Amino acid sequence: MPTISTVGTQRNNKDCDSFTRRRRRRRRKMAASSMAGRVLTLCKQFQNVFRISSGINAKNAAVNLAKHYSHLYSPISSVSQYRTLHTTISRRGLDEFFDFPENWGEETVKSGAPWSAKHLRTKSNEDLHKLWYVLLKEKNMLLTLEQESKRQRVPMPSPERLRKVERSLIRLETVAKERETTLRLLQTGQEKGRPGAWRRNVLGYIYWYRFKEYAIPWYMNTRYMRKRFYTPKFVEPHIRLRIEKYLRDKYRKTNLKKRTLAKLKERFPHMKVPSS
Amino acid sequence: MRRTKGEELNEKVVVPKDYRYGTNRPWTIAAKRLNPPGKRRRKVFVEPIAPEDWTVLRGDTVEILAGKDKGKQGKVVQVFRHRNWVILQGLNTHYRYIGKTHDYPGTYIASEAPILLRDVALIDPSDRKPTEVEWKFTEEGDKVRVSVRTGCIIPKPVVERRDGIVPEQWKDGPKDTSPEDTVEKTFTPSLKTLEEEVMEKLGIQENRRQRKSYWY
Repeated sequence: MPTISTVGTQRNNKDCDSFTRRRRRRRRKMAASSMAGRVLTLCKQFQNVFRISSGINAKNAAVNLAKHYSHLYSPISSVSQYRTLHTTISRRGLDEFFDFPENWGEETVKSGAPWSAKHLRTKSNEDLHKLWYVLLKEKNMLLTLEQESKRQRVPMPSPERLRKVERSLIRLETVAKERETTLRLLQTGQEKGRPGAWRRNVLGYIYWYRFKEYAIPWYMNTRYMRKRFYTPKFVEPHIRLRIEKYLRDKYRKTNLKKRTLAKLKERFPHMKVPSS
Repeated sequence: MRRTKGEELNEKVVVPKDYRYGTNRPWTIAAKRLNPPGKRRRKVFVEPIAPEDWTVLRGDTVEILAGKDKGKQGKVVQVFRHRNWVILQGLNTHYRYIGKTHDYPGTYIASEAPILLRDVALIDPSDRKPTEVEWKFTEEGDKVRVSVRTGCIIPKPVVERRDGIVPEQWKDGPKDTSPEDTVEKTFTPSLKTLEEEVMEKLGIQENRRQRKSYWY
């Protein structure tokens, strides 16, 4: 059961030194409606109880949907560079883990080129979706083949097929991500799908902190509250030293480049100076 | 766990900044024997040539301008960009014994030594003499090598693919898509995400509402 009252008292009892003062100042705005918040959370707890039971029903529904889905997953006419058209879906399923019987025992199996990103970009979303699963099944088949050849201590016939399929999958994923980012940019103006913020850590670095999904709000999360997104005062001299070190390193690198270029000019007077 | 020989060969080799590149590739046993980790050799200065200015390609016929086999023409077998080296077939050879055992003296073979790019010149196909070459654009927009002296275009050499496939003679297997299907354009830009479109096509209806979650 929620310990809302105890959370409130814990916060009031925290030490009043400079480290926590800054945190409280930031959170003051959020703590304004704490009383109302407590009541809301109480109600939400009950709501969650109800939601869990509806969740179980949803799970069953998902299973039914999956069955429907496989039925609707009809054979494809224009498919990957890796699967031809099959007139029936093998209901047993396990023979999709193996190659065609005529390729069993062969030393090499002929395979075409992997899908390129240029060609994948011309395909519709539905085609990409189907292609993904076709490639995945092919990958599973090749992985079983690899494992079995390891077991039999025999070289796998044409292992480059596996690498080709993996590359195609990676390219498909990049194309799908590209489409998603363009849509997001159009509609929201943001490129990143996952929320985040620029935050300072204890060592003085400012970095992109990526948000995580939690079930409880931040003020109830004790582990999150212990995180420090500020730099203590005693770290500042070290930051200055770090900047000095970085600048020294930068100048050393530029000087080294100049010296090597001068030496190269000496040895090769007719060389073309590289632009970079 | 102990790494197997196969895994050892396949793992990526980390090469230090002052690594001296030789004719052996860095992940081979011979290269590892010559350049063990921690070995430092005198720095070799290599004339910087931009990748777009590189004119000699594998399979080209070139003529040697300086050295032991001066004036001879040969086919380029290997190109080493990091040292500006070129290995020609059967030219600039020295002789050594290979496969020596306790009682067998070994086979006497000729092994080619690498030649610097500076000492090699591409051959003009019209008069078969060495020329200087530049990269120029044709009217269609293709980048070609043009000889400075005559203006003749030097065609790109036909090199066999490592997997032995000749693209003109390729026949599709049962799992390959036909060229027409690959090139066919089915994409129509729309404001729907991939997930939404697929759900629509498959008739999936998502009526569940997501539980409230917090992002921080």
